[in-house]
Amino acid sequence: MVLALQSLGGIAEARFPKPDFTSGYQYPDIFHGVPYEQLWNILDIILLVGMMGAVVWAAYKKRSRAVIYSTSIISVLYFGFFRSGCVCSVGSIQNVILALADPTYHLPWYVLLIFILPILFALLFGRVFCSGVCPLGALQELINVRNFRLSRAVSATLSLIPWIYLAFTIIYAATRSQFLICRFDPFVGIFRLGGDMGMIGFGIALLILSLFIGRPFCQFLCPYGALLSVFSALSWKKLEITKKDCINCALCDKSCPVDAIRQPQQSKAKETRSAGVKRIILFAVLLPVFTFLGAVLLGQNSDALSRAHKDVYLYELLMEQQAHPDIEEPLEVETFNALGGNVEELKEKVDDIQHQYSLYAHLAGALIGFVIGFKLLKLSLKRSRKTYEIDSARCTMCGKCFNYCPQNLKK
Amino acid sequence: MDRRDFLRTCGSLLAGGAILATGGLLTTKSKGKSGDVFWQIDPFACTQCGRCETDCVLPVSAVKCFHANKVCGYCDLCGGYYRPSVKDLNTAAENLMCPTGAITRKFVEEPYFEYTIDESLCNGCGKCVKGCTSFGNGSLFLQIQQDLCQQCNECKIARVCPSDAIKRVSYDEAYKLKDHA
Repeated sequence: MVLALQSLGGIAEARFPKPDFTSGYQYPDIFHGVPYEQLWNILDIILLVGMMGAVVWAAYKKRSRAVIYSTSIISVLYFGFFRSGCVCSVGSIQNVILALADPTYHLPWYVLLIFILPILFALLFGRVFCSGVCPLGALQELINVRNFRLSRAVSATLSLIPWIYLAFTIIYAATRSQFLICRFDPFVGIFRLGGDMGMIGFGIALLILSLFIGRPFCQFLCPYGALLSVFSALSWKKLEITKKDCINCALCDKSCPVDAIRQPQQSKAKETRSAGVKRIILFAVLLPVFTFLGAVLLGQNSDALSRAHKDVYLYELLMEQQAHPDIEEPLEVETFNALGGNVEELKEKVDDIQHQYSLYAHLAGALIGFVIGFKLLKLSLKRSRKTYEIDSARCTMCGKCFNYCPQNLKK
Repeated sequence: MDRRDFLRTCGSLLAGGAILATGGLLTTKSKGKSGDVFWQIDPFACTQCGRCETDCVLPVSAVKCFHANKVCGYCDLCGGYYRPSVKDLNTAAENLMCPTGAITRKFVEEPYFEYTIDESLCNGCGKCVKGCTSFGNGSLFLQIQQDLCQQCNECKIARVCPSDAIKRVSYDEAYKLKDHA
């Protein structure tokens, strides 16, 4: 054991001299395979852009679901099963956050493209990526048969989850603690036909749910979808259900799997202009308050959050070990001691990490507070509509409403 | 242009600006480097804790034992081949270190033996590596076999590695071999 501990230092000292062979022995050549990763990455990007282009063409020009359905199948097969799901745009959020927070991390070019291209397309045409390019969305889309609607209140509350998820992702990715989205990816295990059983179970449960509710993951969990919805709401082109006049038959609304079609509404009791303005000013004042409150609330808990970081966890294990020396040493503590780790140095590191945690927890809290405040502000804005319209923030461009609209079928 | 359109245009411009700014910033940051792509073990930091075998997402870990022949002493009594308390130097399973029989050896000349790893049998447990590093030259070491690795965005083993030996490397340095060190 003593010998083992000494050698843990990592210096490969030659205990035995190099043999001098007399029989003309040659060292064998050993080749270690490296996949043609760069080639595959180029193909990934080409397919990503090509499929997004196809969806744009299918949705805006051809107005057909068939093309979008086929890209979904290609996406599940290629990006899902063949490329085994990594790295995906959803997960690339974390690489980007890490690259912004930590200058020692070198973001590969294709990860940057995988992150930024769908956002660019969202700003131009809406959530094209969600439609039939993202393998996670496509998988749920392909097996969806019925749409049971959740009430607006429930779905509005649930749609806060992606933002909260995104906020925590920022904290954990920026501090190099863990990649939350990858760890809790419910579908990667299905694509790889193996992996963490808990997450596969969760994925299967989500798939069963998506038989009856359109895209539960995209609607209520996906942080990248939340990000895209912002850009999609501001998009340059907006999708229309029909180019002809809407006859308010409500068929499109019934066909929409993600509840992205807004019904015509007329405010019944017209409120006076001054009351409306007052309410909006109130919420506009409340928005910074919410943001501030969120920052303070989450920021105060940053030390508890920081336990997710390896070094902080190790430090806590060490402290516990010192308090109760009779319990068995965990592997982390054993390795730390064997490598001759310095507790003071670790403490300094931990303080630094907790300092970072405090910063990012405040930022993430502010984000959560802002989103809650903004959603409230939006709820208070009641617009009157005469016809059925697509809510471009929610629309995932599946194209189902095209075929349901009787005006589209008319020659 | 009414108020709504004006606000929307402002929002779109802001969003477009954000994309450009983020994209530009990140491009300058990742310029000139091929980026941190593959996961790889630093053999000099590895402590052979055994988690590579148990924590990989694959059913059989992508971590394999590599052998640097140029570092090897070609000993008969090999710390990576035989268990420490071995009585007879024969290939009976109770004498051998490798639980899957992935290490074979071939007699070269007196008193040298050449050791070879059958990667299809290796499960990355690192028992032989521990033996070799403790009692030998340290020519056996663990590496992530890039052909097998799924290139997860976050390596599951890296998250639990007690010595932080698993780091991202670029295309050009997909392996950290001991022969070249």
